[in-house]
Amino acid sequence: MNDSIGPILIVEDRPIDLDLTKRAFVRRRLLNPILEARDGEEALDYIDRWDAGEPVPVLILLDLRLPKVNGLEVLQRLKLHPKYSAIPIIVLTTSGEDADIHEAYRLGCNSYIVKPVDFDNFMEVASQIEIYWCALNTAPR
Amino acid sequence: MQTKGFESISLFGAAWLMLALCTAPLVAQETGTNKRILILFTHESHLPAQIMVEEAMRSTLQSGSTESLDIYSEYLDAVRTPLADYEKNLVEQLQRKYGGKKFDLIFCVNPPALKFALKNRSTLFPNVPLVFLVLDQRNLDGLDLGSNVTGVWGEGNYRSNLDLALTLQPGTKRVVVISGVGEWDNYWRSRVKEEFRPLAETIEFTYLTGLSIPEQKDALKTLPPHTIVFFVSSTQDNAGSNYGNVEVLRQISPTSSAPIYGTTDAHLGFGIVGGRLISFDAFGVGGAQVGLRVLAGERPDSIAPHGIASVPMFDWRELKRWGISEDRLPPGSVVKFKQPSFWAEYRGRIIIAISLLALESFVIALLLIERRRRQRAKEALDQLNAQLEGRITARTAALDAKTRELETFAYSVAHDLKAPLRGIDGYSRLLLEDHSEQLNEEGRSFLTTIQNSTEEMGQLIEDLLDYSRVERRELKPDRIELKSIVQKVVEQEKRDPTDRKIDFVVNVNGGTVMADVNGLTQALKNYLDNAIKFTRNVEHARIEVGAEEKTNGCVLWVRDNGIGFDMKYHDRIFNIFQRLNRSEDYSGTGVGLAIVRKAMERMGGRAWAESDPGKGATFYLEIPK
Repeated sequence: MNDSIGPILIVEDRPIDLDLTKRAFVRRRLLNPILEARDGEEALDYIDRWDAGEPVPVLILLDLRLPKVNGLEVLQRLKLHPKYSAIPIIVLTTSGEDADIHEAYRLGCNSYIVKPVDFDNFMEVASQIEIYWCALNTAPR
Repeated sequence: MQTKGFESISLFGAAWLMLALCTAPLVAQETGTNKRILILFTHESHLPAQIMVEEAMRSTLQSGSTESLDIYSEYLDAVRTPLADYEKNLVEQLQRKYGGKKFDLIFCVNPPALKFALKNRSTLFPNVPLVFLVLDQRNLDGLDLGSNVTGVWGEGNYRSNLDLALTLQPGTKRVVVISGVGEWDNYWRSRVKEEFRPLAETIEFTYLTGLSIPEQKDALKTLPPHTIVFFVSSTQDNAGSNYGNVEVLRQISPTSSAPIYGTTDAHLGFGIVGGRLISFDAFGVGGAQVGLRVLAGERPDSIAPHGIASVPMFDWRELKRWGISEDRLPPGSVVKFKQPSFWAEYRGRIIIAISLLALESFVIALLLIERRRRQRAKEALDQLNAQLEGRITARTAALDAKTRELETFAYSVAHDLKAPLRGIDGYSRLLLEDHSEQLNEEGRSFLTTIQNSTEEMGQLIEDLLDYSRVERRELKPDRIELKSIVQKVVEQEKRDPTDRKIDFVVNVNGGTVMADVNGLTQALKNYLDNAIKFTRNVEHARIEVGAEEKTNGCVLWVRDNGIGFDMKYHDRIFNIFQRLNRSEDYSGTGVGLAIVRKAMERMGGRAWAESDPGKGATFYLEIPK
């Protein structure tokens, strides 16, 4: 597509999950550039890069269990950030715990999705994310 | 007052008029074997000292005689009314009075009575033995006793009396002698002076004579140390006022600064310490004893008249007052007015009281000990309780920590297991989809098996997470409409994509329970899942949900017409991982019913099941009210 398509930031420490997510998006013909962060610290480092002029993502997929700085803290920092709080954040995690779900929404996540074990379901999730968040939804610019 | 007249008798050396005529002798006729005795008393009958003497005489005579005695008393009252003018008439009167009686013995008490008897005995009592009692041997001076007469006198030895006082009061430097100026007072003072004279060199004697009672009181109030008072008799003062000795003693004794010693036991008890006293009692006894000898046959002439010794007598209260120990009194001393000690008087009561007190104290002590024991036990118990509570708190905290750790562990393990599982499933799927042409049939079937295994494992992990979630989820009891919750769960189950036709029957009419919605929903859902699963091979699957209100709760049941189970497994099927069927027949992890039981137990309810193999099963829930 064209350059105006914003990137999607995937914050995920597990290479397998990262790879599968990327493959799922590729299968769904998602054209957005994919940015990666392998831990919470790396995710927060992006803030400086965005300030420096790098393209700001249109969507962030955030795992909760992350090395260094955990997902909920990354979520909180971003959602409290004066400039980047509007970026839609989808929590994509293996945890289906009530406490995690509740806390994530309280901190302002836009969606909470439990990673399915089953690959077909995983593909379905990737597809739904693409359809909803990238095609249907209008994200702030 | 009571002794004044009596004491004065021995002084009575005054006129004795002879009775003119004593015609008929008072000789009694023989009327029986009783011995007859006449006692002639000098004074009127009410004089206390004389009464003492009479009583002593009578009791001594009665108790000392083997024969019965007939004792007569005559009170001449010869001091207040001297006999001179009517002696003759009196003799006549006595003759008439006792004319028919023969006396065996005549007693004469004190000189006037004795003189009267001696003078008239030939007329009144010829040949009758005569026994006299006089206070001083000197009273006999000048009397012609004649024959058939004997008697006793009092031995008033003032020197030995004073010696005794000096023994009891060692260090005595002066003696104050009190006496009045009446005839009697003068007589006795002269006797005392005479006897004390030899001591004048070593002891200073002061004679207070004829003082009024107030003057005596003043004089005795401020005596120098080492002084004793010797009270003789003080019946008249210099101004001519008359007193009774007892009255004098009563007034001067309480304020006296020195102990007062006396002369007769008539003064004992009114303020004198005591001394070697003329005892009226001993006097009466002594006279009567002589009489008894005469009655027994002894001739009076063969019984020598003799003195009745003075008796050392003391007032216990005065001994105490002046600090004189009883131990120092001479042997044979009579101590009167001894106030029984509190102990002696109330011994019985004291013993009872002390016993009761001791018993009471003992009981109190026991109770106190018991109370202390209980307090200690309670303290120990409280301490133990506190310790236990502390330990329980600590253990609970430790247990909570462990539980949380375990939960976290289960949670982490489950999640961490899911990630690689996703890898296995994902890549085997990608392999199958993108590279299947490079695999043969067997290879592809292996990949399918891998996928089935990962699916199974995924389910197992999900179920385990559910199971642990039941435990971890906070209970939120709420009032729940049974009918609506049952319908909601049944509707959800109906919506599950399945090609089967299942007949759901809901037979719940109203009723509410207090329960945790999530727990109850989960339990009901698992029961329905279970029923759906085990009716898979039934042609007309029918699942009925019913409810019944009981007194202490509500029972909900899910009844199916599935394969059922053997009742011997009815309880085991609620254990985690417990399966009754092979997985190829009925897939499952064996966690569903375990979740139901756990959820029900958490809200205080029960879960159980009944079945008839082949005819279906009924699974029950009991929800407490």
